Amino acid sequence: MRRMSMFPGSDPSNLAFTEDAIRHEMENEEQNLVKKLVALSTRERIRDIRDLPMSCEEKKHIRSQVLAFKSAKQSRQFTCFTDCSENVSLFFRRCGYSIRSVRQTLELWQGIMKEIGGKFGTSVLSYFLFLKWLLMFNIFSFLVNFGFITIPLLVYDPLPSIPPNVSFRGLEILTGAGYFNYTVMYYGSYSNETLVGLVEYNMQLAYFFTIAVYMVLCGIALILSMASSFKTNYVLAAPASSGAWQLLCSWDFNITNERAVRQRKNNLRVQLKESLSEKAQRELLTLSEKLKHFGVYLGCWLLSTGLAVGCGASIYYLCQYEQQRAGDAAGRSLLREAETLLVPFVVSLMNLVVPLFYSLFYKFEHYSSQRRQIYALVVRNVLLRMSILAVLCYYWMNVVARTYSCWESVVGQALYRLVIFDFLFLMLGSFFGEFLSKVIGTTLLPSLGVPEFDIARNVLELIYAQTLAWIGIYFSPLLPAIQIVKFFILFYLKKVSLTQNCQPPRRTGRAAQMQTTFIALLFFPFFVGALSMVAYTAWRLTPSEQCGPFRGLNNTFSVVGVWMDDLEEIPGSQWVVWIYQNVIRSEIFYFLITLIILVIIYMFWQVTKGRKELICLLKQQIVNEGKDKSFLLDKLQNLQKSQPNKPKLKNQKRHTGRRSGTSALIQAMLARQQAQNEYDDGY
Amino acid sequence: MGNKQTIFTAQQLDAYQDCTYFTRKEILRLFDRYRDLAPQLVPLDYTSHPDVKLPYELIGSMPELKDNPFRQRIAEVFSEDGEGNMTLDDFLDMFSVLSEMAPRDLKAFYAFKIYDFNDDDFLCKSDLEKTLNKLTRNELTEDEVRMVCEKVIDEADLDNDGRLSLEDFQQMIVRAPDFLR
Repeated sequence: MRRMSMFPGSDPSNLAFTEDAIRHEMENEEQNLVKKLVALSTRERIRDIRDLPMSCEEKKHIRSQVLAFKSAKQSRQFTCFTDCSENVSLFFRRCGYSIRSVRQTLELWQGIMKEIGGKFGTSVLSYFLFLKWLLMFNIFSFLVNFGFITIPLLVYDPLPSIPPNVSFRGLEILTGAGYFNYTVMYYGSYSNETLVGLVEYNMQLAYFFTIAVYMVLCGIALILSMASSFKTNYVLAAPASSGAWQLLCSWDFNITNERAVRQRKNNLRVQLKESLSEKAQRELLTLSEKLKHFGVYLGCWLLSTGLAVGCGASIYYLCQYEQQRAGDAAGRSLLREAETLLVPFVVSLMNLVVPLFYSLFYKFEHYSSQRRQIYALVVRNVLLRMSILAVLCYYWMNVVARTYSCWESVVGQALYRLVIFDFLFLMLGSFFGEFLSKVIGTTLLPSLGVPEFDIARNVLELIYAQTLAWIGIYFSPLLPAIQIVKFFILFYLKKVSLTQNCQPPRRTGRAAQMQTTFIALLFFPFFVGALSMVAYTAWRLTPSEQCGPFRGLNNTFSVVGVWMDDLEEIPGSQWVVWIYQNVIRSEIFYFLITLIILVIIYMFWQVTKGRKELICLLKQQIVNEGKDKSFLLDKLQNLQKSQPNKPKLKNQKRHTGRRSGTSALIQAMLARQQAQNEYDDGY
Repeated sequence: MGNKQTIFTAQQLDAYQDCTYFTRKEILRLFDRYRDLAPQLVPLDYTSHPDVKLPYELIGSMPELKDNPFRQRIAEVFSEDGEGNMTLDDFLDMFSVLSEMAPRDLKAFYAFKIYDFNDDDFLCKSDLEKTLNKLTRNELTEDEVRMVCEKVIDEADLDNDGRLSLEDFQQMIVRAPDFLR
C-alpha cells in the first residue's frame, strides 16, 4: 500500500487497536471513491481514475469495481437503449484513442524534441518549442494568404504579365527584384478587379479583409498564449534564489544524458555555494562601491542606447544615399541590382555585431542575479532592433511612398531582402559564433571552453525575423512562404549546431518564466509595432496609382466605404450599411466600448486585490495551525512525562526505551488520528 | 488499425488505456521495451496475468533512468514490493506518471515520494541531506549541507514542525512552473 503507509517503523503492538480502524476506514474510503466515480460521466471518470495517486493495479481494481457497479445498476434498468449507448460510447472512446495516437505520430519533430530535452534540458528545449510555434504561425498565415488572395488570382489569370525584356537571372533570389516583381510575390501584381468566374470575387475586399483578419487573429493568439503562460508561470512563482526551490524543484527530470547530468550536478553545487555566500557579501557593499556600480550601470546604459540610436541614424543616411544613387543612374544592370543589397547587409551586420559588443558589458557590470543580467541584455537588444526597424519603417512610409510609382512593391522587395539576409546571417552566426568558438575553445584557448547555447540571443533573433514577416504581410503576401522555409532550415541548423558545438547553458534560471517574457516581447514592442505600421499604411497612405489592388483609392480603408455604397443598392442588405454607419464609424461606440472595458478591468483588479489579502490571511492561518500543533505536542509530551504511572504509557516507554521522543510523537499522531476519526464519524 | 496482437485481450488494453496516459500503440511499445529487458523472463502472452517481476538491476539500466540520480528511488517508489522489482503494471505506471501528459499534482505526489527516502511521509532533514548528496555528487562539506537543509526547511515549512509535509511540498511546487515538465 503505497498510499497509506502512515506509521511505518512504529511497533505493531501499539498499532493493533488502530489497525482495524484504519483498514475499515480504507475500505470505506474506497467504497466512497467508487461511488463518486460511478456518478461521473465516462470521460470524467477516466480522467479521475488516471489522476488517482495509486499503482496501476489498484487503479484497475477500482476501475473494474466501478464498471461492475455500473453494469449491476444497468441490468436492473434492463433496456436495450443503455446497452446500445454503452457500446456506442465504447466505440467512440476507442476512436478517440486511435485519433490521439495518429495525432502523436503526425506531430512534427517529436523525437528530435525529446532528444534535445534529454541532452540539454528544458530551457534549451523551450527555444526549439518557440521556433516550432512560430513555424506553425507562419504555416497558418501562408495558408490564409495563399488561399484567399493568391489562388483566386491564379485561377482567374494563371500567367503573370511579364515584360519580354525581363528574365530570371538568379540574383533575384537574393534581391527579390526584377523577375519576382512581376509575380504574385508582391502587392503590385494583384488586380483591383472583381474576378468573374463561377462566382464574383472582389479582389480589393479579399485583400483587405484577409490581411485585417490575419492581423487580428495573430493578436488574439498572442494575447491568449501570453495570458495563459503568464498565469501558470509568473503569477504564482516564488523568487528563484530560494534554496528550497534550488534543492527540490530545480532538477530537470527531462535530462537523460550522462554528460548533461554531470554538468547539472556541478552547476547546482556552485549555485548552492553561491547562495550561501551571497548573504554575507550583500552586506559588505559600502556606499562608494554602490556608487561605483551605479556609475557603471549608467555608463553601460548610455553607451548601449547611444549605439542603438547611432545605428538607426546611420541606416537612415545609408537609405538616403542609396536612393540618391538610384536616382542618378536608372537602368536595370546587374550591378544596380546588387547595390540594393547594401542596406540589408548593413542592417544584418549590425544585428550580428552590436549584440556581441553588448555582451562584453558582462565584464564590467556586476548584477546581483543572473536573471537581471539577462533581462538587461534583452532590453538592450530589443532597443537596438526597434530603433533600426523604426527608422526603416519611417523611411519607407515617408520617402519611398512619395518617390516611387509602385511603392508598395518596392517596400515588399526591401523586406524580402531583409528576410533573406537575416537568414544568411543567422546561418553565418551559428557557424562563426558557435562553430568557431568551439574550435577555438577546444584547441587554442582551452580556458574559454565550449560555448554555451545563448537562449536569449537566439530567441531575439527569431522574434526579429517574425516581425519582418508581419510587417511584410501587406506588401508581400507570400512572404510567410519564405519564412516557413527559413524556420524549417533553421531548426535543423540549430539542432546540428547545438549538438555539435554547444554545451547546455550553465545557469538556466527559470525556463518557463523566460518563455513568458519572450512571448510578451514578441507581442508588445514587435507585434504591436508591426500592426501599427500596417494600420498606418492602410489608413493614411495613398496607395500607388498604377498597380496593386487598391489603385485609384484615397487610402486602403476606403475599400470598405466603396463596398458599402455598392451594398446600399442591393435590397435586403440595409442592416449591414446601418451597422457600418452607426457602429463602425461612430466615435460614441468606441467610447462606450472603452468605458466598459475600463470598468471591467477595474472590477477584476479589485477582485485580485481582495484575493491577495485572502491569500495572506490563509498563509497566516497555516502558520497558526502549525503553532497550535507544536503547542499541543509539547503539552502531550509533558503530560506523558508527568504521569509515568499510567499503565499504557509506561508500557510504551519500556518498550521503546531510548526512542521516547519519537514514540511520543507517534503517540501524538495516533491520538490526532483517532480524534480525526471520531470527528469524521460524528460529522 | 486492425493489426492483431495476442499479448493482451481487448479488455486488458482498455483497462490499461483507462488507467494510464498512454494510447494502445504506446502501451504495446512499452511492453516491447519491458520485454527487451529480459526476453527469457517475460512471456509473450499476458492474457492469463502471469506473475513476472523484473529485478531493479534491469530496470535501472534503461537509458531513460540510467543517468538519473534518483533512479533507485524512482524504481522503489513505483514498484509494488518497494525494492525496485517491477511488474509490467508497475512499469507502465512509472512511465505514465513520468510522461508529459500526467498532471502536475500527480507528479508532485510522486516527486514527494521519491524525495522521501525513509518513507515516513515527511521530508525531514535526513531526506533533504540525501537528496542534496545525490544532486551534488557529495562534494559539499558537511557544514554546507547542513546549512542548505536548514534553509530549505526554514523557507518551505509553513506549519513550523521542522519538516516538510506533502502540503508544504505541493505549495512549493505550485510556485515552480518549471518543475517536472
